[in-house]
Amino acid sequence: MYTHKENKLAKYVVTGTSVSFNGTDISDACARAELVINSAEVETTDFGSAGWTEVIGGLKSGQVSFDFHNDFGTGGVSELFADLVGTIGTVTLNPQGTTVSASNPTYTAEVLVTSFTPISGAVGDLATFSVTFPTTGEVSYATA
Amino acid sequence: MTDITAVRNALATNLGTVSGLRTSAELPDNPNPPIAVVQLDTISYDEAFQQGLTFFNFTVMVIVGRAAERHAQRKLDDYCSQNGASSIKLAVESDKSLGGNAFDVRVEGMNNIGSLQLNDQEYLAAEFSVVVYA
Repeated sequence: MYTHKENKLAKYVVTGTSVSFNGTDISDACARAELVINSAEVETTDFGSAGWTEVIGGLKSGQVSFDFHNDFGTGGVSELFADLVGTIGTVTLNPQGTTVSASNPTYTAEVLVTSFTPISGAVGDLATFSVTFPTTGEVSYATA
Repeated sequence: MTDITAVRNALATNLGTVSGLRTSAELPDNPNPPIAVVQLDTISYDEAFQQGLTFFNFTVMVIVGRAAERHAQRKLDDYCSQNGASSIKLAVESDKSLGGNAFDVRVEGMNNIGSLQLNDQEYLAAEFSVVVYA
């Protein structure tokens, strides 16, 4: 019987995700990263669909979302985003570190910085902020 | 990588800003009060990607003297205060970077106060929970 383990498909615990924005590595200020790539559903159901709906892929879109630790130090993530709302930036993501390979591909996306929350948190909490940016254009994928 | 010994020493250095308070990295058999002992309790790794943030939970035990001494109780009241020259909270947080070894430090609370028995001697002590973000 074929199993994923025999094919050495490596499961992994998320600890080493690499996140950069406009070329600045902000991995160590990031506690969660997510890239979602979507395709619109275009319905093609007709009288020949035998009672089932039918769809084809439409326009693709994507979004990235992150949970960051606020950091206003020089080169910190909060300083980085301070003036970027309303601008397009480049996000690159790798699952585990920056050594690009077939098992650690680089996803690159242009995103619109739609919001930034410089002040957030209740008393006694670690200062964090979460963002979700829509992608613009193609989300590329590289293994080398 | 965080140097835990350096963090512990920096906490002791901050505690040393309280006049007359001795500090120690280990619980002594025969403490010479008043003394603050810095003990590492737990560590939470991987609070950010690529080890960008780790939580270190310390207990600072402040031993003030024999349990029967009224003066010891008053001394402990001063150490437990959230302000004042003898405040443990203010002292620990006096250098929040811990000499460049941490992002932040916070005394979360005083969790326990009461008698402490060491080598057949009974002391009065208070335990403070301290979180270091490094």
